Amino acid sequence: MSLLSDWRERLRALLFRDREEREMDDEIRFHLEREMAERIRQGDDPEAARRAAVLAFGGVEQYKEAVRDARGTRPLEDLGSDIRYALRGLRRNPGFTATAVLVLGLGLGATTAVYSVMHSVVLAELPYPEPDRLFIVVEQNSPTNRWNISTADAHAIREHQQSFEAWGEISRTEAALSGAGAPTRVTVGRASAGYFTALGVNAAAGRLIQPRDEAAEAAPVMVVTHAQAERSLGGAGPAVGRSLTIDGIAHQVIGVLPPGRDALGGARASVWVPLKLPAPVRRGPFWMRGLGRLKPGVTPEMAAADLALVSARLLPMWGDFRDSLAKLTPVPLRERIVGRAGTQVGIFAGAVLLVLLLGITNVATLTLVRATAREPEIAVRVLLGAGQGRIARLLLTENLILSLVAGAVGLVLASLGVKLAIAQLPDLPRIQEAALDWRALMVAFSAAVGSGLLVSLSPVAVLTDRGRLRVDPRRAGTGRGTNRLRSLLVGAEFALALPLLAGAGLLLNSFIRLSRVDPGFDPEGIVSLGLSLPAARYPDAPAVLRFWQQLEQQASELPGTIAAGLTSDVPPETAGNTNNFNLVDRPVPAGESEPVSPWYSATSGYFHAMGIPLLEGRLFTPADTAVPVLVVSRSWATRYFPGETAVGRQLIEGGCYDCPRNVIIGVVGDVKNTGLANESDAVYVPLNQSQSSSMKLVIRSTAGTMAAIRAGWERVQALDPELPVEEATVVQLLADSLSDPRRWTAVLMAFGGVGLTLAALGIFGLMSYVVRQRRREIGVRLALGAEPGSVTRLIVSRGVRYAMAGSLAGLLLTLGLVRRLESMLFGVSPTDAGTIGTVAFLLLGVAVLACWLPGRRAARIRPLEAISGD
Amino acid sequence: MPPESPELLRGTLELLALKALSLTPLHGWGIAQRIDQLSRDAFRVQQGSLYPALKRMVRQGWITSEWRISENNRRARYYRLTRAGRRQLEKETRAWERASAAVNGVLRVRTVEGT
Repeated sequence: MSLLSDWRERLRALLFRDREEREMDDEIRFHLEREMAERIRQGDDPEAARRAAVLAFGGVEQYKEAVRDARGTRPLEDLGSDIRYALRGLRRNPGFTATAVLVLGLGLGATTAVYSVMHSVVLAELPYPEPDRLFIVVEQNSPTNRWNISTADAHAIREHQQSFEAWGEISRTEAALSGAGAPTRVTVGRASAGYFTALGVNAAAGRLIQPRDEAAEAAPVMVVTHAQAERSLGGAGPAVGRSLTIDGIAHQVIGVLPPGRDALGGARASVWVPLKLPAPVRRGPFWMRGLGRLKPGVTPEMAAADLALVSARLLPMWGDFRDSLAKLTPVPLRERIVGRAGTQVGIFAGAVLLVLLLGITNVATLTLVRATAREPEIAVRVLLGAGQGRIARLLLTENLILSLVAGAVGLVLASLGVKLAIAQLPDLPRIQEAALDWRALMVAFSAAVGSGLLVSLSPVAVLTDRGRLRVDPRRAGTGRGTNRLRSLLVGAEFALALPLLAGAGLLLNSFIRLSRVDPGFDPEGIVSLGLSLPAARYPDAPAVLRFWQQLEQQASELPGTIAAGLTSDVPPETAGNTNNFNLVDRPVPAGESEPVSPWYSATSGYFHAMGIPLLEGRLFTPADTAVPVLVVSRSWATRYFPGETAVGRQLIEGGCYDCPRNVIIGVVGDVKNTGLANESDAVYVPLNQSQSSSMKLVIRSTAGTMAAIRAGWERVQALDPELPVEEATVVQLLADSLSDPRRWTAVLMAFGGVGLTLAALGIFGLMSYVVRQRRREIGVRLALGAEPGSVTRLIVSRGVRYAMAGSLAGLLLTLGLVRRLESMLFGVSPTDAGTIGTVAFLLLGVAVLACWLPGRRAARIRPLEAISGD
Repeated sequence: MPPESPELLRGTLELLALKALSLTPLHGWGIAQRIDQLSRDAFRVQQGSLYPALKRMVRQGWITSEWRISENNRRARYYRLTRAGRRQLEKETRAWERASAAVNGVLRVRTVEGT
C-alpha cells in the first residue's frame, strides 16, 4: 500500500472537504441518471426507471456515509469537533482557564528552565573528544582531603606513568597585561603542551603551546582566548604575531583558542603561557593541576594502581614530605568540574519538580470541581448514547489543550528563567551555555502532555462512571468516590507543599545564622587595593620589599587614614594559600600527615587596619629579621595548644627540616578568612619573610571609601604609574560572600511561597465547593437551631483534617528529601525539629484561615432561601 | 440467503473493479456495467457499494480519478488503473486462483470420500 497516496488523499479530503462532498454528490447523481437513461432506453417509463435506478444503487445516504468513512478523515474530524468543543468550554470559563494556564505555565516554565540549566551544568558532556578518558590527578590522603601536585610529582609522573597517552600540567596566577589598551589584571594560565594535547583542543588561529616552548631558554610566547583576541587584539587572525606584556615581560602571541574556550578543563584564564617546569628541590609545594588522557583500554582502577606505584617511588626520595598515606589519585575531570554544582542544581530541580506536581494537583482539583459542575451535561450526553471512550476523549482533549497552552506560556517564562539563572548564578560551572534548545522544547512538550494526562485522570474517573452520574444539577458530584478523590487531591497538595516550605525554612534559618557570624573585624570604612609587582621591574626580594614598605608608609600618612597595612588575602573569602607544618614540641608520628593550616602574609599595620585584636605576645616589628617569626589566630592556638600558651613555641614549616625553626610571637583574634561558615585557623608570616609580589593594601580611613580608594590609587601611581589596581571595599566583600547562600535561600523561599499559596488555594476551593454543595443541609441545621459558630467549626475542622493528613504524609516526604540539603546548611541540621515544626505549623495555620473563609460563609446561609431552593 | 463474509465481499468487489478497469478507464456506472457483463450478472451487489471501495482504492494508490466528458456528453469521474493497481490485480488474481484451486481441491476430496 502506498503511504504517499493515502496521506495525499486524506489531506485533500480534509482540506477541500466541500469540494470532496460536491464531487461525491455529482458522481452519484451522474450514476443514477446514467442508470435511469439506460433503463428508459430499454423501454421503462421515466418514473419506473428512476425507482429502479435508486433500488439498484441501494441507500444513497448510507453509501455517502460509507464513502465519507472511506476517506479516512473521521478521527481527525472528530478531533476537530472535540477541539472546538473544548475551546468553547474554556472560553466560557475564563477565570478557570486563566488560573489553570498560569499555575501549570509557571510549573512547566520553571521545569523547562531548570532542565536547561541542569543540562548545561550537569548533564552535558564535556566539550572534548571522548571526555570520559580525561582525569585530573591529585594528591589524596583520605577520602575527603585532596590537594594539588608538586613539581616533584609532575616530574615523576612524566617519567614513570604508564596509563596516559597524553599528560600535562597547569597553574594560574593573576598578572598585569599591557600592550593592548590600558593595563589590566587578568588571569594567566601556565600550561604545558601536554595539557592541550590531552584535552584534544586545537588552535583557531596560529598554533598552541608546544614542548619546545617549555625550554628554559625559549622565547616568551602566549596563546590568547578568542574572547581576549576579540576584545583587545582586533580578532583572532590579526592577534597572531602581536606582542603583549605580562608583568613587564613581552610575550609574542602565537595562537588563538577556538571561540567559547574561556576555560580549559575547568580552569578559566584569559591568556595561556608555557609552563616551564623547574627542577624539583623538595617534594612540595603543591601548586599545579595535572591532567591526563587515559590510553584506550586503561581503566581508572589501573591508572590508580599505576599512580600509586609512582607515589611509592617518590616517598623515600624527599625528606620533607613523610605522609605515606598520600597517593597520587586520578579523579574524573567531569567530577572535578561539575562537583558541588551537581548537588545544588539537583536540589533546585527537585524543588521545581515539587512545584510542578503541586501545580498539576491544584489544576486537577480545579478540573474536578468544574467537572462535577458539568455532570448533568455529561449525564445527558451519556443518555443520548455517547460512549465512555468518547467522553474520556472529550475531557482529555480539553485538558491537553489547556496544558499545551500552559506549555507555550511556560516556554516564554522559561526563556526568561534561563536568562535570570545565568545572571543570578554566574558561579555555576558552564551555566553560560544554558539555553532553550530542542531538548528543552521536548521536555516542555512532554511535561505539558504529561500534566494534561495527569490532570485528566480524576475527572475522567468520575465522569465516565455511568452509575454515578446525576442529571439533577442539585445532586451533581455527591458520589462518595468523588468526595474521596477531592480530599485526596487536596491532601496531596499539602504533602507536596511541606517539603518545599521545610527546605525554604532550613535555608533561611541557616542564612540568618551565617549572616550573624562575627567575621572578626569591623568592615566599615576599610578599602582594599590589590597589586601585583611584575618580575621585570621588581626582579629580587629587596626591590619587592622596598616597594611594599614605601607604599605602606605613604598610605598610613594619607589624610583620614586610621591605619594601613598589607596582606596576601583579604577576608572573608580568601583564595587560600595553605601550608603544612610540624610542631617541634609535639611532632606527628612518622608516616602520618602533618597538619595543614591557612597561611597568610601580613604586616602589623594590617591587624591595626582591620581591627583584629592582639590577644597575647606581640605583632611583627622591623627588627624581626634574624629569626623567622609567626603570629597565629586564637582558634589555631587553642587547637594545637589547648589550655597552654602558644607564644614562644616553634614549628617546622612546609616540611623544610633544614630551614631555621619558626617561632610563634603572638596570638591574634579569630577572623573568618576562608568563609563565614568555616573555621578560623590562621598563621600569619611577616612580609619580609614571605617575599610575596602579590599583595593587597588595606586602609581604614575616616575620609570615606571612595576618597580612600582614590588617595590610595594616587599613591600607587606616584610610585609606579604602570601598575594595575584591583579595588574593593571590605563591606562589599563581606556582602559578596553572602550573596550565594542568599540567592539559594531566595529561590527556595519563592518556591515555598508558591507551595503555600497553591495549597491554600486548593483547600479554599474545596471547602467553598463543599459549602455550596451542602447548602440545603446547612440551611436545615441552622433552621433547627444550630449555632452559626458550630457550622463554621464543622467546615474548618473538616478542612483541617484533610490538611493534617496531607501534612503528615508531607512530613515523611520531607524527612526523606531534606538530607540532600545538608551540604548547603550552616549551623542547622537538615532534620531540625524547630524549623520543620514551625513550617508545618505555618502551613496548618494557613489551612485554618483558608477554611475559615468558606466556613464563615456557611454560617451566614439564610435557612429559608437555602431550603426553598435556588 | 446465507450471510456473506464482508471481508471476502469487499476484497472480491475490489478485485472485480480492478479487473474491470484493466482494459480501459471507466466511470463508476461503467465499472458496475462491466462487472455485470463480465460476470453475467452472477454478483448481485448494490451499485452504491462500489463507491466506498473506489475511494479506498484511490487511497491505496491502485487507481486514480479524473473528471472527463462521458459518452453521453456529461461530466463524469473516470477511474484509471495505476501501475501499482496493475500489480495489485496480478497479485490478487494469483492469490484468488491459489485459494480457489485449494478450495476446489478440498471439495473434490470430499466428493471422493462421499462416494
